[in-house]
Amino acid sequence: MSTINVLGLVLLVLMILVGGKAGAQSFLALLLNFGLLFLAIVLVAFQFPPLIVTLVVGLLVLALTIFMSSGDDLSSTVAFIASAVVLVVLVLLIVPVEHWALVQGFGPEDSEDLEGLSVLVGVNFVQVTTATAILSTLGAIAEAAMAIAAGLSEILEQHPQVTLKSLLGDGIAVGKQIIGTTFNTLFFGFFGGFLALFIWFTGVHYSVGEILNDKIFVSEILMILFAMVSVILTVPITTWVMTRAVAGQRKRTAKQSSADK
Amino acid sequence: MQFLKTNRGRALAWLVTLLIGGLLVFGTQHDAALYRDPIMHVTQVTTGPSSKETDDFHNADTQTKQTLHGKILNGQYRGQSLTVTNTYSRSGAMDQRYRVGSQLFVVVHNHQGNHLTATAKDLKRDTPLIFMIWLVVGLLLLIMQFSGFMAFLSVAANGVLFLLAILLNGSTQGAQVLWIFGSLAVVFAALTLWLVLGANRQMLITLATTLGGTTIAILVALIVFHFTHEKGMFYESMQYVTQLPRPLFLAETLLGSLGAVMDESTDIISSLFALKRERPELSAMQVFKSGRQIGSTIMGPLINVLFFIFVADTFPMAMLYLKNGNSWGYTFSMNMSMGVVQSLISGIGIVLAVPLASFLASRFMEKKVRA
Repeated sequence: MSTINVLGLVLLVLMILVGGKAGAQSFLALLLNFGLLFLAIVLVAFQFPPLIVTLVVGLLVLALTIFMSSGDDLSSTVAFIASAVVLVVLVLLIVPVEHWALVQGFGPEDSEDLEGLSVLVGVNFVQVTTATAILSTLGAIAEAAMAIAAGLSEILEQHPQVTLKSLLGDGIAVGKQIIGTTFNTLFFGFFGGFLALFIWFTGVHYSVGEILNDKIFVSEILMILFAMVSVILTVPITTWVMTRAVAGQRKRTAKQSSADK
Repeated sequence: MQFLKTNRGRALAWLVTLLIGGLLVFGTQHDAALYRDPIMHVTQVTTGPSSKETDDFHNADTQTKQTLHGKILNGQYRGQSLTVTNTYSRSGAMDQRYRVGSQLFVVVHNHQGNHLTATAKDLKRDTPLIFMIWLVVGLLLLIMQFSGFMAFLSVAANGVLFLLAILLNGSTQGAQVLWIFGSLAVVFAALTLWLVLGANRQMLITLATTLGGTTIAILVALIVFHFTHEKGMFYESMQYVTQLPRPLFLAETLLGSLGAVMDESTDIISSLFALKRERPELSAMQVFKSGRQIGSTIMGPLINVLFFIFVADTFPMAMLYLKNGNSWGYTFSMNMSMGVVQSLISGIGIVLAVPLASFLASRFMEKKVRA
């Protein structure tokens, strides 16, 4: 058996032991997400427009991740709507910045890996890199939106009559707790991945100026920054969607109770 | 510090950040003098004819030649006019199209007489980089206020430590990479948790969980590696490797999973402390059970976060492989297998941290948590 299969099996067993049915479901969501990511790459290779593929796959990934984790209906729905809004806002930010910074494709550091490969493949790499940046933030958006929605729905459970205004404040308070730790996840996650690149920079003695303008370096740092922006934006947007949902619910129950009379 | 917590203080801090950031972004447009390499400012572009290219795999692309006229902004050739040519393709994987107003690095070849010849090297990219940093800091302060500042501080402190460790690694020729980054992980975790939680019992329990979860995950991975003989792992597919790949891979995985495990243990343990504060009568077993329940809802999304970070990054190269007529299996092996292994190891760490956090919290929490 290959290492990936055995590690996957270990993970599956552990997830079931710790989380029971929810654990098995999360593992399945992970598998499906991998399938979706691979599908996105294959579709773009077949000349489908990268941005549209990314948006569709992105929405599917968010839906899968959010609805397949155990959470109540209200918080899952709110988390999904909020993360979809964040995704759209993020696309509006990433597309112009990627066109401005022109960090698409590969840099001189990649030349060894590119040996023997044709790079004139007729796919717009600005869009591919944009798609990469969007995809790499999906997990963080889903996680942050779920955490905030869950925190708010717990507050609603304990104080069902909380005013919408104080709910807004609560959302930011929950967000404050989450953002510090989520930033660490992002920081270590990305820096773990770039360790080799940074070692390369110091080994080959790049100057600070060269590093700050290097295609690969800027591209990677931009990815972290996009992910951070998306997590920050998730806080107010999720809170706002939650207040809208609660306001709608209250209106409906108010109507029903007046109709009952 | 107290001043920052008042409304006026906050508004002022935000305005100052906005202003300094704006000045920095503006400054990077005019910082050519700080660079040693000559920078050219493009004032006029003429686009030449395009040619169609088809490679062995029937991928069609177009290449276009452009002639850029402009002025050098810095160094010994400052102020001199210059004309360079550049070829860009429609796909733009290794090249780019310059426009009027672009600033680019050039290599000057020949300066006999008063006519300069040069070739375009690369675009100057510091302005978008600084702009995005400014945007993140501004948003953080606007929405998160003081705690946003702390979050940023902890990221910045970790960034400095990371840089020092890389320099140390460089000075030992990478022989000690696993030790350097292993001990760095301990310092990272301690520093970050101290900034987030302060020095107290909760922080110690969280730290123990973080380090324990990450270490056990790496040990599990090593055992699996041993019995499967690392079948299906392609160290040669790792990018930018300049030293022995195996310890480097483990160091990358260690760092990558550390943040997520720390995130999760902080969440579980602080919820358990809050729970115990509200209902001090709960037994250790009950605390353990609620810890497991909280943990099992957050572990899935967290594994997902790392998975997307580790694997999405391989998108451009994987696509290039597919376009070059490689099979799906080969493309996966050569580009994504290492990222998937990393995600799985981190996943194991994240899952193991759930019982570990619940156990340590239930066992070592003070009998009565002070409110």
